[in-house]
Amino acid sequence: MTIHPSPPVDVVVVDDHAIFRSGLRADLDARINVVAEADSVETAVAVITARRPAVVLLDVHLPGGNGGGGAEVLAGCAGLLGVTRFLALSVSDAAEDVVTVIRAGARGYVTKTISGPEISDAVLRVAGGDAVFSPRLAGFVLDAFGTASVAAVDDELDRLSARELEVMRLIARGYSYKEVARELFISVKTVETHVSSVLRKLQLSSRHELTRWAADRRLL
Amino acid sequence: MREPLVRPRDRIIAGVCAGLAAHLGWPVKLTRIIMAVLVLGAGSGFILYAWLWIMVPTQEEQEKKEQVQASPRSIAENYARQLREGTAPRPGPRKAGRREVAVGLALLLVAAAFIAQRLGADLNWGLIVPVAAIAGGAVLAWTQLDESRRAGLMNSAGADRTSGLIRLAAGLVLVVSGVLAVISGAVSWDLLISGLLASAAVLAGVALVFTPWAVKHWRDLEAERSGRIRQTERAEIAAHLHDSVLQTLALIQKRAGSEQDVVRLARAQERELRQWLYTDHARAEDHLVECLRRIAAEIEDAYGHPIELVAVSDAELDERTEALASATRAAVLNAAQHAGGTVSVYVECRPEQLEVFVRDRGSGFDLDTVPPDRIGVRGSIIGRMQRAGGSAAIRSTADGTEVQLVLPLPKGPENGSSEPGGAAGSTADGRAAKKNHQSHVSSNGAQP
Repeated sequence: MTIHPSPPVDVVVVDDHAIFRSGLRADLDARINVVAEADSVETAVAVITARRPAVVLLDVHLPGGNGGGGAEVLAGCAGLLGVTRFLALSVSDAAEDVVTVIRAGARGYVTKTISGPEISDAVLRVAGGDAVFSPRLAGFVLDAFGTASVAAVDDELDRLSARELEVMRLIARGYSYKEVARELFISVKTVETHVSSVLRKLQLSSRHELTRWAADRRLL
Repeated sequence: MREPLVRPRDRIIAGVCAGLAAHLGWPVKLTRIIMAVLVLGAGSGFILYAWLWIMVPTQEEQEKKEQVQASPRSIAENYARQLREGTAPRPGPRKAGRREVAVGLALLLVAAAFIAQRLGADLNWGLIVPVAAIAGGAVLAWTQLDESRRAGLMNSAGADRTSGLIRLAAGLVLVVSGVLAVISGAVSWDLLISGLLASAAVLAGVALVFTPWAVKHWRDLEAERSGRIRQTERAEIAAHLHDSVLQTLALIQKRAGSEQDVVRLARAQERELRQWLYTDHARAEDHLVECLRRIAAEIEDAYGHPIELVAVSDAELDERTEALASATRAAVLNAAQHAGGTVSVYVECRPEQLEVFVRDRGSGFDLDTVPPDRIGVRGSIIGRMQRAGGSAAIRSTADGTEVQLVLPLPKGPENGSSEPGGAAGSTADGRAAKKNHQSHVSSNGAQP
């Protein structure tokens, strides 16, 4: 993947299982420096506010707080979203878990079964300001926004462009960003731009279909 | 073996005679006649009937009880069955007119009594009418008890409850007026009225004293009920975890040496638990995505390679979508066998077409070098799709192979479920598919 220049990326790992935290620490490679860990909503907000890491690896299901889990941590750190970027981690790929943290401001979502190099790449990508989409998340996006690019929708936020649809579809099919780029004859950077733009739409859109889709799945 | 003593669904009054007959192996009619004769014997039949009515459970109650007592292993199944039964329409109504026949018989009896009196028989109406009123009232009230029990005393719908209460009140009025009529034969009206007032006052006093107790007991009962419901849920979850997760964990400990076995077990368990936790129970079984999920699970278990299934909306299963599912199965199987590693399956259901992509990261293969006798790819994927009126394209590079399956849906109904007439377009589609296959059309450009 893209080689980022040397200073390792500071990361805070938030997960309530110590075994998983230590396993994740061991999995992350030398480009990443775990500065702190947290195991509940309160400690996470405190640690993140104090350390201001570049990236937070955030478990979706967390004890403490008002029971809001990862999304509550995101809400508690709302002021930091410009500095610190959040990558959601979950064993669950239920739509409610995934879409809730993304809408709360996470820059990406990966499942906990992800391999070591992959998660390191994902962290670096998020640190670089890009979004990380798993095939599953791309599937949710396609489900929510519809698979046809509708020109009749007024608000640009409420639809995906034809290119964004293509990118999402390829990611859902299991393509890496590099493979998507090769497939569409565009650069990886352009793929990243498209994905970030989809993420922004997913976070900001109040589109009727998205709302209904979310309501159908009891996300709202 | 003797039938258990229960009151069957098909009842005239309370099903006592029918239940008794089934239990004893007697003809139902004989039982009824004996019961009627016993009623003549100083009302002993009536008392027996009432006693059996109270003591013998209905068939529904008995079934519920059996379900609860069933082994914990199948609690989840029982629960599912109960849910199904709860929503399913009640089995057909009892045989038409039997209740009416009973009412008619009673009326005939009354008429016969009138005629008998006309003919000179000395009937004591002052006794018969009140007793009949009491009996009728009791029957009305008890029927209500039965039915409300069946519907669940508390949570039945409003309309049901109102009609139930009216019936209960009518039964009560009948009984009370019957009792009054019996007494009024022996006591003068003045005395009766003052006696009534006195007893009403006593009853009111007793009610005043006992109401708090009654309310408290009712609350306790309610609390116990909800507690029991929670406990049942807990038992269900415990049973499920025991049967699945704990067993798998035990297996994993035994096989800790073999990494592949551990991964496979963990993966299968994860999938099973995930399905149990997150699957939308409303989602119909006979839909494409559910079918593909099953297929993916089966192949994952057999080969131990993870299969990631991503689905965008869903379609109903019919002959053609089943062909699509079979072709998908062949493609996934091929990937799991020859490529290994993670296999990505992406399903997209749109009103005009269904599309499936199966991607692996193996070293790839060239379709032209596959010997013609290997029917795997050609027959089970391409041929099958063409016969269903769809198409298949296979793209293989050094980074892996991707199989694209497209099944156009006939224009028409919104959800695009296929109609029998779909075969008409199959020749044209088949040709298109062939062309598609030969030119190896870039698979992402298939959408207009």
